[in-house]
Amino acid sequence: MSKNDETQTRTRRSFLLLVPVSLFAGVFSSIGLAAFRFLRPRIAAASSENWSSIASLSELKGDAPIVRKVTTDQVTGWAVTQEQHQVYVLPDHRVISAVCPHEGCEVAWDKATNRFSCPCHESYFAADGSRLTGPARRGLDALPSRLKDGQLQVLYESYENNTAERLKRS
Amino acid sequence: MLLCVQLLTGTLLAFYYVPSVDHAHTTVSFIEKVVSSGSWIRSLHHYGSQWLPFFLFLHLIRLRICQAYRCHRVQWLAGVALLALVMAAGATGYSLPWDARAFFSTRVAEGLMAGLPLIGRNARLWLLGGSEISTLTLSRFFALHVLVIPFFILVVVALRLVGQRHRPAVINHSTIAAAVVFLVLAVWTLKFHAPLGPAVADVNADYLPRPGAQFLWLYESLKHLPGGLGSIVGVVVPAVALLILLVVPWFGVGFLKRIPPHGQSLVATIILASMAIWVVTMTTASYVSDRRDPRTRQQLLKQQSDEQKFRATPFEPTALNFSGTAAEAQASAPVSYMTFCANCHGAHGEGGRQGTLRFPPLIGVSSKPRRTADDIVGLLNDPTAFGLEPPMRSFARKLTDQEKREIAQWVVGLK
Repeated sequence: MSKNDETQTRTRRSFLLLVPVSLFAGVFSSIGLAAFRFLRPRIAAASSENWSSIASLSELKGDAPIVRKVTTDQVTGWAVTQEQHQVYVLPDHRVISAVCPHEGCEVAWDKATNRFSCPCHESYFAADGSRLTGPARRGLDALPSRLKDGQLQVLYESYENNTAERLKRS
Repeated sequence: MLLCVQLLTGTLLAFYYVPSVDHAHTTVSFIEKVVSSGSWIRSLHHYGSQWLPFFLFLHLIRLRICQAYRCHRVQWLAGVALLALVMAAGATGYSLPWDARAFFSTRVAEGLMAGLPLIGRNARLWLLGGSEISTLTLSRFFALHVLVIPFFILVVVALRLVGQRHRPAVINHSTIAAAVVFLVLAVWTLKFHAPLGPAVADVNADYLPRPGAQFLWLYESLKHLPGGLGSIVGVVVPAVALLILLVVPWFGVGFLKRIPPHGQSLVATIILASMAIWVVTMTTASYVSDRRDPRTRQQLLKQQSDEQKFRATPFEPTALNFSGTAAEAQASAPVSYMTFCANCHGAHGEGGRQGTLRFPPLIGVSSKPRRTADDIVGLLNDPTAFGLEPPMRSFARKLTDQEKREIAQWVVGLK
């Protein structure tokens, strides 16, 4: 066999190797593409505005924030899950979310020091929800609320963590 | 290649599947109806599981022809072991969607195990995880299907690959063959969806379950065999046949030396041929008998169209109740109920048992005929008039009309 023949055989071999490689690539890329579509996260469609009553006006007395629970239904994939969220009704009837804008733990009202404190990373907020100290970058988030038929109603929303501005979570 | 496809699609399906009798069917229909490419991926997994044993069998025949049990023992052993493992994976996988088909296949697996000589009783209990088919059974089948069997399959494949040296031409031929098989499977599965029958809870008495193609031989054989023999033919005979195939390479060695080495090819041929003949005959017989009987044909067609209807209806998410919320949502029972009724029917109307006496649950009772709030008031006054028997007694004098009305309204609202 001459040298020329040998090179030719080698080229032919490397060409032939391309066939299985490209076939495998074809098969796995088609499964890969389907896998990407299959696993793509499912973002819940924005639910219609759902006002929930949290207290009647007569209950809202005193000068300390009052804690209330709001339950929302959320379609998560194949299930509808109920989620409970804590909110605080301030003496001026504004409603603020108890979710700390730092990493999302729930803040608690500390009667002794007259402020909200976050149990996770020690962020503190004043009685009106504004930021005092700690890693949080903004104050507690006020939620849309309204008075209807003597009831205080709230529209529960979630906001992005760790931003100076309040951004609604999509 | 098919094994790779099974592992990949199986892993993907596990991202959504929940192995519990409450949610298995829901999550599978979610994969089918909502998740992009879900139907294709599930279909690949379903039909892949039926094609795999077929191709493995062809592979064994090819190994027999080139007498691999003499010089490529590892290949031969791996082929036989994989055939057994893949059939086991298929059997356990069938139960997972928890549809009508799954339920019946679990029943048959239960029956086959129970019928085994000597160990039957315990084999059944160990397979089910209890005395009845339950959510524990489903968890067991799931663990076997996704952890235990794939682990052994991977071990066998790894051992086999280690003992093999490739020549480029072989790689080339087998990749082309594998790619062609995948292409055909991919097109096939685009056209035919994996079946998903009604949920176990919605099965009616007319339902005719049919197993997957790889088990039709067993299904047809069970029709013709007297009851007790089913387990022998379904489990013992295949197991013994595969075991003999496993020891074929050692004929003429050690305690098997009485069998002359040329007996190897004879035994292997006889076993493989009789398996092939048995499976082909029984599978064909099953197709033919389903086609010939007009009533069966009609019912199977009806099931097919029901399935299409089910597929066309939009997916309904299930409500998940976290602890407490369901009980809180339901108004608490009137005091008179707690005094007179809760002792037998349960504090939440869930029903109860005292010795041999069983007290029916009241939850959902309003969906039955003659159980409106008015009927229940009447029933409390005169149970026999509403078809009830002792120990349910009349409360005409014990309760005031107001209390009867309260109880009736509360019971009607129980869901």
